[in-house]
Amino acid sequence: MKAKLIASTLVAGMFCTSLSAAELTVLTAGDQNMVDYVNEYLGPLFEKENPGTKVRVVGTGPGDAGSQKILERFEAQSKAGVEKWDADVAVVHEKFVGPMVEHKFLEAYRGKIPTGSLVTRENAKMALGANVDGYVMPMFNSQTALAYNPALVPNPPKSYDELVEFAKKNPKQFGYNGIKGGASGVSFVMGWLYAYGGGDAQKLMKGPFDPSEAKNWDKAFASLKEFTRNATLTPGNAGTLDMLSRGEIAIGPVWVDMFYSWKANGQLPPEMKLVLPAPGMPGQPMHYVVPAKSENKELAEKFVALATSPKVQAEGIVKRFNWYPGIDAQHVQESLDKETWQKLFTDISPEDLAKYGKPFPIAPYNNAILEAYERQVGN
Amino acid sequence: MSAKLETEVSHGWGGEGSPQTDAAAASLAMQADPQKAGAGRFVMSVQLLGFLLVAPALAIVVLLFIVPLISSITGAFEVDGAFSFGNFAKAFELYSSDMLFTLTIVLLSSGLICLFSIMIGGYLTLGSNPRAVALLRWIYRWPLFIPFIVVGQILRTFLAKSGLMNNIFIELGVLTPMSAMSFLDWRGIVIAFVWKQTPFVALLLSGAMASIDRSTIEAAQNLGANRLRILIEIVLPQVRTTLLVGLILSFVTMMSVLSVPLMINAQSPTMITANMAFRINAYRDYGVANALGLISLLMTSAVAWIYLRQTMREHSR
Amino acid sequence: MSTRLDWKWVPRGIALGILAFIIFGPLVNLLLWTVAERWYFPHVLPLKYGFSFWANVFSPRGNAMSSLGMSIFIAVLTVIVSLGLAIPAGYALARLRLPLRGLILLALLIPQAFPNLPVYVNIARIFYQYSLNGTILGVVLVHVTHGLVYAVWIATAAFSAIDRELEEAARSMGASALRGFFDVTLPIAAPGLLASAIFVFLESLDEFTGTYFVGAPDISTLPLLLYTAGSGGNYQIASITALILLIPSIAFMFVVERFLRSDVLSKVGH
Repeated sequence: MKAKLIASTLVAGMFCTSLSAAELTVLTAGDQNMVDYVNEYLGPLFEKENPGTKVRVVGTGPGDAGSQKILERFEAQSKAGVEKWDADVAVVHEKFVGPMVEHKFLEAYRGKIPTGSLVTRENAKMALGANVDGYVMPMFNSQTALAYNPALVPNPPKSYDELVEFAKKNPKQFGYNGIKGGASGVSFVMGWLYAYGGGDAQKLMKGPFDPSEAKNWDKAFASLKEFTRNATLTPGNAGTLDMLSRGEIAIGPVWVDMFYSWKANGQLPPEMKLVLPAPGMPGQPMHYVVPAKSENKELAEKFVALATSPKVQAEGIVKRFNWYPGIDAQHVQESLDKETWQKLFTDISPEDLAKYGKPFPIAPYNNAILEAYERQVGN
Repeated sequence: MSAKLETEVSHGWGGEGSPQTDAAAASLAMQADPQKAGAGRFVMSVQLLGFLLVAPALAIVVLLFIVPLISSITGAFEVDGAFSFGNFAKAFELYSSDMLFTLTIVLLSSGLICLFSIMIGGYLTLGSNPRAVALLRWIYRWPLFIPFIVVGQILRTFLAKSGLMNNIFIELGVLTPMSAMSFLDWRGIVIAFVWKQTPFVALLLSGAMASIDRSTIEAAQNLGANRLRILIEIVLPQVRTTLLVGLILSFVTMMSVLSVPLMINAQSPTMITANMAFRINAYRDYGVANALGLISLLMTSAVAWIYLRQTMREHSR
Repeated sequence: MSTRLDWKWVPRGIALGILAFIIFGPLVNLLLWTVAERWYFPHVLPLKYGFSFWANVFSPRGNAMSSLGMSIFIAVLTVIVSLGLAIPAGYALARLRLPLRGLILLALLIPQAFPNLPVYVNIARIFYQYSLNGTILGVVLVHVTHGLVYAVWIATAAFSAIDRELEEAARSMGASALRGFFDVTLPIAAPGLLASAIFVFLESLDEFTGTYFVGAPDISTLPLLLYTAGSGGNYQIASITALILLIPSIAFMFVVERFLRSDVLSKVGH
């Protein structure tokens, strides 16, 4: 009798799904703190302003892999012909918005929300050469830079040329992850191409795509191969930060947001600093997108409006994480005291950021550079 | 000398019954079964019964994995919509050293796992001191419960140049900071695989070893064989099937792990799975990713096929 | 007599000690990260200990406890379904001479042998088409697909290791085929089958990608919480979640061992 009871409960359990009252589902790529951000701060705030709703968040993992999982989820639902998709808001890296727009997965919602006009930066309209105007609202802007240990590197290199000099004099003290483990290494390589790629760096960033441009890169890759011989290879974004914290390397490319998160978590010594070398390193925003077939579109738009409001951007993005805001700086700056705002620029001044913070190359160049690296440097 | 030992032991184990071969026993079964009329119909319905027993398991795997796999794999043979082997050409052009690397690492790991699990299983079965056996049984199983992604994380901070292991050695005076080595390359991957998979095979093996009739072991001990000989000549042949199954399952698992090479191995060459992930996440190139997956599948199938042919040969003896 | 025992403990002790270091060294690393609030070079041990990350993991909205419960529930169901399918299949493949035996075993190996990354899009599509997404049944089916690799292969090996003469002995004493199976074959194969139960349980408990594509956002399991933290290098949260996952795994193993020791071992000629 008891066994039958247990068995029937198990069978019944298999067929139940959870019930929901106005539930907003957020899929977010990125580190654990992106999930915590919605769970601990944004979610409760939204639920307070919209009583009767519930916000739940699913993290898909850091880096391109996390955003790819979100894209694949949309693809699966699109191919299966699902009418009402199970995600209402997604936070993805810039690179994946282009394909999402191309496949018509997204809602053009930016014109409908009040905060839509607060962002005028170019990267809210174009994503790696694809026109995504109206489909995205940036959550925050990230930037890569070189993190270094001031005890081991008293005079940090201020340009790629100085870095090459440094690496020659201090072999194996520079570490990056190649192109396979994480995007910090990728952006270092892109910066290398901007510096030594022969052609015009602006062409790489803005287009048009010209396949013969690749011929200009041979010299750059040869010197990169030489440079990598003097460098240590690390197992990914976290690997670079790991080795920095253990003193095994003295300097390496990192994502600025990851850098500050690791410091906050006590995984990185507080003495570490950042420097942004000339002629520049790429950065990218992470975007809020709303699927066109979402079940709770109005709620989703309200959520994004809240997340990109000056108050939340100031409290949540700048104060909480020390990240660069997604909407234009002047709207956020007025909601903060001077000290908190200045903390953003402890290591990298606003002028340096404006001069040396670049976008990634457009998608076709992006792929071509990565493949050329695989062929010429990796092998 | 060893052949004599084995036959003496197996005769002792046969007991009162008759040492019949497999085929003879099967025909005995056919004749003794009172429910079936003719031998021919019996053979037919045995096969039907066999298929019916296997069908549900097979159905799940076919419907839920093989069908989507087929729609995925056709992409490997397509370049820009037309049938072509271009993806395979590119895979070999860019990743042939990685394929060799993967195969070598996994074979090496399998060999080490085989060795260590036999040692552990052997001691658990033949160990003379019950306290030491109990201690071993308590110690060896822990890595089983740690998922690969956590293994990658803890070994990354453990095996690094200034990681916990080297730090402990330096504190104990075994190493100096100068001579500390980082294991974060192919050796780290092998260590991670062996660390995690040895308890798996050892658990299977010790279970199989515990199931064999102890009188064979005791008979050999009475004849004066030492324990190592008993292990190699008596116990191991009887548990060979289980050992091979454990090794093949480990081989298959190791070939498809992504987290360990990503988290531990920084250099090139790296494993095939890392390249597949890179192809998908960086280029959205499912064509080459599927081609790589197919190559990985062929490698694994080749190894599994060798085992299957061996057991099929035994089966039909 | 006692001096002889003491001498033998020297090589034994050294071997066990080395093994203990190899096994527990990395685990100590895990434990340290669960309580480390600040830990970086050149400090060998964490600078600051604390439980703030535990509060983070167990925060009310993080629903770690319900995810844990869901993970265990799904894992138990997966084991039951997998074994239920694998025992007859293993017996058939081991005993009844099926013509395509090799091919069938190979087909069952494929879910683990082909790295899953490119396939999940299509798997998710099929589950969406049949409205199995977000259901426990769907997630259990995905886990079973992977668990069957272990369950069927191990069951086949366990059954083929049993000597036919024992079954024949039972038959010749008048037992029917089914009775012979339950009274003779199954108990002898039990250690292997229960070992495969443990492996299927562990595999299901650690499964992330399949659960994400088929289960999320309705079904929340602990690996979904673990994966992001683990790959991102958030060591504290990953270690704490791994520690939490350890508990049901070890408990399951103890239950299986207890069952193995009492019921079954008495029937096997020990």
